[in-house]
Amino acid sequence: MTGSARAAGGSKPLGRTIGHVGLALTVAFGGIALGAGYWQVLRSPDLTRAPDNPAVIAAARNVVRGMIVDRDGKVLASNKRSSVTGEPYRVYPDRAFSTVIGYASTDFGTAGLEHAWNAELTGVSNRDPIGDVLRKFQSDPYDPQKLTLGISSVLQRAAVAGLGDDRGAVVMLDPTTGEILALASTPTYDTGAIANPKTSRDAFAAVSGDTNGRPLVTRATQGLYVPGSVFKIVTAIAGLGSGRISASTTFPEQPKAERDGLLVGGFRVHEHPGVPSQSFNLAAATEWSSNIWFALAGLQTGGDNLAAFAARMGFGAPLPFELPTSPSQVTNGGGSAPGGFTDETELANASYGQAETLVTPLQMALVAATIANGGTLMKPHLVIAASGRNGSRTIAPEQMGVVIGPDEAAAITAAMQRAVESAIGQQFTSGAKVPGIPTAGKSGTAELGGTGAPHSWFIGFAPVDHPRVAIAVIVERGGRGGARAAPLAGDLLALYFKTFGR
Amino acid sequence: MTAAAPSLPSILGPIRPRPRGRETRLLAIVAVTILVGSVSLQLARRVTDPGEAHGLSPANPLHLAIYLGLIGLAHLVLILSGRRMDQVLLPATAMLGGISLLLMERLPQTQVVQQVGPWKLGLGDIQLAWLILSFSLATALAVTVRSDRWLRLYKYTWAAAGVGLLVATYFLGDDINGQRLSLSLGPISGQPAELLKVILVVFLAGYLSEYRPLLVEESTKVGPISLPPLPFLAPMVAMWAIALGLVVVQRDLGAALLFFTVFLCLLYAATGRVGYVVVGVVLFLAGSYVMYRLVPTVQTRVDIWLDPFTTSSGDGYQIVQSLYAFARGGLLGTGLGAGLPTVGGHLPIPAVHTDFPLAALGEELGLVGVMAILGLFLVVVERGLRIAASAADEFRSLLAAGLALVIGTQALIIAAGNLKLIPLTGITLPFISYGGSSLLVNGIIVGLLLALSDRGVEPPPPPRPRGRLARLTGRVTRLESPPAARAPVPDPRPKAAGR
Repeated sequence: MTGSARAAGGSKPLGRTIGHVGLALTVAFGGIALGAGYWQVLRSPDLTRAPDNPAVIAAARNVVRGMIVDRDGKVLASNKRSSVTGEPYRVYPDRAFSTVIGYASTDFGTAGLEHAWNAELTGVSNRDPIGDVLRKFQSDPYDPQKLTLGISSVLQRAAVAGLGDDRGAVVMLDPTTGEILALASTPTYDTGAIANPKTSRDAFAAVSGDTNGRPLVTRATQGLYVPGSVFKIVTAIAGLGSGRISASTTFPEQPKAERDGLLVGGFRVHEHPGVPSQSFNLAAATEWSSNIWFALAGLQTGGDNLAAFAARMGFGAPLPFELPTSPSQVTNGGGSAPGGFTDETELANASYGQAETLVTPLQMALVAATIANGGTLMKPHLVIAASGRNGSRTIAPEQMGVVIGPDEAAAITAAMQRAVESAIGQQFTSGAKVPGIPTAGKSGTAELGGTGAPHSWFIGFAPVDHPRVAIAVIVERGGRGGARAAPLAGDLLALYFKTFGR
Repeated sequence: MTAAAPSLPSILGPIRPRPRGRETRLLAIVAVTILVGSVSLQLARRVTDPGEAHGLSPANPLHLAIYLGLIGLAHLVLILSGRRMDQVLLPATAMLGGISLLLMERLPQTQVVQQVGPWKLGLGDIQLAWLILSFSLATALAVTVRSDRWLRLYKYTWAAAGVGLLVATYFLGDDINGQRLSLSLGPISGQPAELLKVILVVFLAGYLSEYRPLLVEESTKVGPISLPPLPFLAPMVAMWAIALGLVVVQRDLGAALLFFTVFLCLLYAATGRVGYVVVGVVLFLAGSYVMYRLVPTVQTRVDIWLDPFTTSSGDGYQIVQSLYAFARGGLLGTGLGAGLPTVGGHLPIPAVHTDFPLAALGEELGLVGVMAILGLFLVVVERGLRIAASAADEFRSLLAAGLALVIGTQALIIAAGNLKLIPLTGITLPFISYGGSSLLVNGIIVGLLLALSDRGVEPPPPPRPRGRLARLTGRVTRLESPPAARAPVPDPRPKAAGR
């Protein structure tokens, strides 16, 4: 073939080459068609739901949005019609939910779940491609979805009330499914006033102008805090998970260092007062909340392992969640030592939750949930079901990853149980114990430098044998962990079992 | 009776109608489709948008009736002309024009408003006027062009006129959005780059057909690589570079890409040498990289293309909105008139009528509609290439191929840009985008293609023994050895007639 074509030389008819050009153009047109198919079919579901898609925005102004209810069916967001314009607007009966549900306002757009689930709430999309194809033939093209949250109003209100006038956050979740049971942040704000067209301008100005309390920042997911001793659980996970330490590991230099402090790279790690100069294993070190033991454990574990196991639980990136989250960090990652630490001093301090370590309350709740669920972390989620005209769908639990094995998790659980239930542990976690129910946990006192009270932390879960609820509590400037966070956590856990039974 | 015949313009000759059954049937399908579209649009508008404000005529079934009437008239004129011309091109382009009219009727009429005498004209009115002119031009050319001598003989004159137009635009043109693309002559303004597309094809066809034997057989060896015979390629490349340079200076990247693609395709069609295409593509990639580094406009366009979503409310706004529109359309579309949700009275894509008509059609007609429109363009291209393949000589062949390629490549570039397959360039979707210059040039192309498809057209002039360049350099005569090289080339006509 090629030989004869070559022999023909200049006498090749143009018909042949023009045929080739035609073929090339046909292929190119085919490519365009494939590209159109990619955007119009494959990517259509997620692009159609994008919050800045004009269809979503336009629908939000005209459509009566779907309701939002809690896990027991109690209404958290409903609608009224303006007597002036006739346009529908949102009504939020309970401001305890303001930082979760956010608002949908004609003038100020959407925030919170109203933003994240805008497409479903307005009904421009129901994530059902076949239904979407047929929907255009119906008289009303919108099918607003009703959202059911995993949150319990009882727990949410109690959490907000418990935080009171303090700023802080409470996260409670079911460790076996990842369903969020309470996600409280204080201060709250009046979302109903922002949604009501009569009051929206003033209400929004007041809320966004509050630069001190900053209620628009959802502290539970976006607040970054020094964790203090609650971070020791992360160190234990990394140590046991990597095999560098075990539950029975002891350090020969530790008992003596309890008295004078531990010298690491020229910096002296100090113990808080009252810790005896005994040899500790994991359980005793957790019970006494020994900075020295966990600093040594962190050094033995290594910065790379600490960073890697933390990353398995979501550190280092925004969490996969329906609300915007800030990424938690073990270190700010600028250093040359393994894991991004500057040196051993930073690693030693990070191992008991000081140094450059910063966490969100949701992230610490996930740490507790990881231990509670035997080392396997479930993806946290707020919405558990969406239902519309054309049926409903439930959001199935999804695994985020296996962090450690069940044996390691059991060892850490035992240590955390002693921290809550033993006489020594109760000095630090007073009030966290749920009467009649085996409870595990760890308190934290985050020193912030300067004067002022430290942040008060507690993370934990119950019952120990088959955990049903994990919790993280932070009270800004609340004092020691046992002063504010641990008793609040104990009350909320007790309320959980009172409400839902054992 | 007999007295009337001589009074007809002699160019038309005696009227001997020839039936065009296939065209009649296809046009009937077009008419039905457009009418159904019109009814669907009227129904949708009654629901979504009861009245047009601003004193402009709302979507008007009369417009479509006028358009379809005009197409019928064009069909009648083609029948009366008695020429044996292609019967698919007119229905295919009439369908595209009809879709364009439906879209322009459907968009807010305030997108374009012009005061002409006592009338205030909106988008749909103006587009209808341009479509009428475009198809009239196409029909006039199809009926009257019986010789290609005026194109064949004056290729350098055409090239000079084209470059002159571009230079004039650069120095005298009006600045719109940082691009200087349009030239005003009194009340009339147009975009010369549109006309340049046709001029470039005429020049390339003339030059390539004249020097084809040389380009096919001779090579300049540089080591193991065999390059085209440089002296003969030089003037053509120079012409191309000037055109390209001016376009790049004018920031009209879409036209630059179009010229380059058409140039490479014609070079391949004329020579059959893949090496030319490879060298051309390498040159293009290298040039693109340099442009990316040196020209900020290019850099912005490429960056937007790579990741529009991070700047979805800034630089990436238009393309993201275009993709949203395609996505909203899905498989079957929202239906004519039921898409493009406005927020606060604004269209999501401001330049939808010029640069993004495919996105609007993709939303309202769905993937199915996009495929149909792409299919129509492919039909136009393949008919053009068919005319090219069966043309009487190389000039006509390359001319027809080039004209078809201008339509096809332009559609490809803007469709790919709308779909984020390549960086977006401001170029019109042939027959569909709003715009007078573009529609008129499309009309010229269809007219010429129809004329070229007539198998009864005047035979091509005998090949001239040498080109002008050859006469200037004595060396050429030796290389060419005319009688030997020309003799084996068979007359392609008998073959073509057999198809």
